[in-house]
Amino acid sequence: MSDMALSSTTKNYLWSLGAVAVATALSFGMYSRFELSNIIMVFLLCVAFVATLGERGPVALASLLSVAIFDICFVPPRGSFAVADPQYAFTFAVMLVVALLISGMALRLRRQAETAKTLERRTAAMHALSRQLASLRGVNTLLNAATRYIGEVFDSEVLALLPDEDGKLQVRAGKPEGFAPNEKERSTAQWVYDLGQIAGKGTGTLPFVDALYVPMLGSAGPIGALRVKAAEPERILIPDQLRLLESFSQQTALALEVDRLEEKSRKSEIEIEAERMRSSLLSSVSHDLRTPLATIVGSASGILEKGETVGESTRELAQGIYDEGVALERLVHNLLQATRIEAGALKLNREPCSIEEVLGAALNRLDPVLGSRPVHARLPEDLPLVSIDAAVYEQVFVNLIENAAKYTPPDAAIEIAGSVQGGHVQLEVCDSGRGLTRDEIKNAFTRFYRSESGEAVSGTGLGLTICRGIVEAHGGKIWVENRPEGGAAFRFTIPLGRTAAPPGERA
Amino acid sequence: MKRKRVLVVEDEARIRRFLRSSLEDADFRVEETALGQTALSLAGSQPPDIVLLDLGLPDMDGLEVLKRIREWSPVPVIIISARGQEADKIAGLDAGADDYLTKPFAVGELLARVRVALRHAARKGDEAPALYEVTGLKVDLALRRVWAAGAEVHLSPIQYKVLSVLVRNAGKVVTHKQLLREAWGEDSEAGPESVRIFVHQLRHKIEPNPVRPKFLKNEPGVGYRLLAED
Repeated sequence: MSDMALSSTTKNYLWSLGAVAVATALSFGMYSRFELSNIIMVFLLCVAFVATLGERGPVALASLLSVAIFDICFVPPRGSFAVADPQYAFTFAVMLVVALLISGMALRLRRQAETAKTLERRTAAMHALSRQLASLRGVNTLLNAATRYIGEVFDSEVLALLPDEDGKLQVRAGKPEGFAPNEKERSTAQWVYDLGQIAGKGTGTLPFVDALYVPMLGSAGPIGALRVKAAEPERILIPDQLRLLESFSQQTALALEVDRLEEKSRKSEIEIEAERMRSSLLSSVSHDLRTPLATIVGSASGILEKGETVGESTRELAQGIYDEGVALERLVHNLLQATRIEAGALKLNREPCSIEEVLGAALNRLDPVLGSRPVHARLPEDLPLVSIDAAVYEQVFVNLIENAAKYTPPDAAIEIAGSVQGGHVQLEVCDSGRGLTRDEIKNAFTRFYRSESGEAVSGTGLGLTICRGIVEAHGGKIWVENRPEGGAAFRFTIPLGRTAAPPGERA
Repeated sequence: MKRKRVLVVEDEARIRRFLRSSLEDADFRVEETALGQTALSLAGSQPPDIVLLDLGLPDMDGLEVLKRIREWSPVPVIIISARGQEADKIAGLDAGADDYLTKPFAVGELLARVRVALRHAARKGDEAPALYEVTGLKVDLALRRVWAAGAEVHLSPIQYKVLSVLVRNAGKVVTHKQLLREAWGEDSEAGPESVRIFVHQLRHKIEPNPVRPKFLKNEPGVGYRLLAED
């Protein structure tokens, strides 16, 4: 406010004098025609008018002056200040009381009006901030808008600080020039964030910094802090302003929370959609390949059923078609299974199962591949039942045994063994081939890994990857080692759960 | 003897083609349809001797077709399903299907299962035979005696019960649930482990090499199948 203008108090005093002067003039004009009791009304009116200004000082002055002038000018003996009739002391007293009452009411009214106006202004300001923030997305955009707005409203430089992954506050918005992140500033900021209370310049807590720190309070506690460096620091410490600043800070925090939640919800929607697409793609590919494969295998086997009625060479061709059809089906199944495992979409239907049975089914399936190759299986009689999805787990045995058959000469034995070790069953599929190089041991289970050995072996390199996926999905581990007696040993574990009942005699 | 009639319910024409061809080669009369509704009306108007039912039909759920047929007919039904759909197979078997086939399947396998199903259907009217015999295993249901590789084998009561259920369904798949129900009874509190445990014991008593069974084969996720007599 400029020094040239008068303070409102001075103005009120002048109004008071002016009103009394007007009342006096009016009274002189009325004196000849009106009773004294009516002339005092004029002065009462004047005092009432001054009372509406709401300040006690001018009102008291007006009352005093009115009574004095009334007494001197109008009450006999005129020209003197003697109060001839003690009634006028009563008049003065009543006048003063009335004046003070009116002025008191006027003051209250004005204060209420001011409070209402302040509230309205604050609401409008918060509304404006909220409107701005509502249309924005993204942490940085929100913080930039908030710091800019708060800075304008409070004539300050505002910085927004958010915690990083380690919980330390970092500046995320606002102009960082002039901000020296020394130890005091940093610890004040951290304190404000940790305790959710205001601190800094002008407050009773940690006041030896250059700015005020306000916590950003979200719905579940502080999510960050604002650093407010005001051009006039005392002004923002006025309780009213402080409350407004805290409200802004909280609004900003809530806007950030809403933004975060929206982001999460959008991400999860995208994930759900991607999952739906992937799943429908998998099942449609699977379905589309099934019919041609079924037709190939079925028709070729149909020719073979004709037996002697078709020539030997025809039967040989048909057998070739059949065998390759079956191999192709296994390949397709492997590919789809690998895709499912990759996508985490492998569904397991676990039941207590006998490992011996699952192995038996795998060996049955591989009968044509194994032929007359010696296969020795040594599983202890009391090997407990394990909680697995038998149809899925069968493939682990199929892939490992098929691998062993592919990479070793046709008469090399394959050995399968199992034992209980602590809380799990350990199984192994061993061959008596050439063993694995260090490179192969390291990369055996990697997707599409084919050994560099130059051997002409068919396959996609997915078999072992699938084994690992299935073993791990059941909570186990799989690895490969070379055996001291030569050849490779693929070992894997199945954790034992509640179904640890060994299939011993029961009846 | 009159030729047996097969109703093929399958929506893929290419698959119907080789099925018809192979079944007719094996001296069956073939009726075919791609729709469940048509299958139901054909099964009613011209009752077949056996039904081949694909579960993936376009107009209605294959399982539903099976259930409706079972409401009024004990005609043997073999369901055709895909790999990885064990739950469907079990649902079908529990709903009254006699056996199942997994695509892709060989015609030989199909014909074997068809013959087993027809044989069992024919027997239902008469008494079940008292004797089961394949090379290496003999079971006399009347005398309650079992011989494996020529030597008599002693089984506990439950082991014998399990074997007898399998024998009575020789050649057909028996689900774990069915085995539990028929060997232990409807109200038994025995769990799925019991079935595994006793089949394991049985296998060790009758199989020369329990890890590569010749008689008692396990179909992972579905159930067991005892070798059919020829």
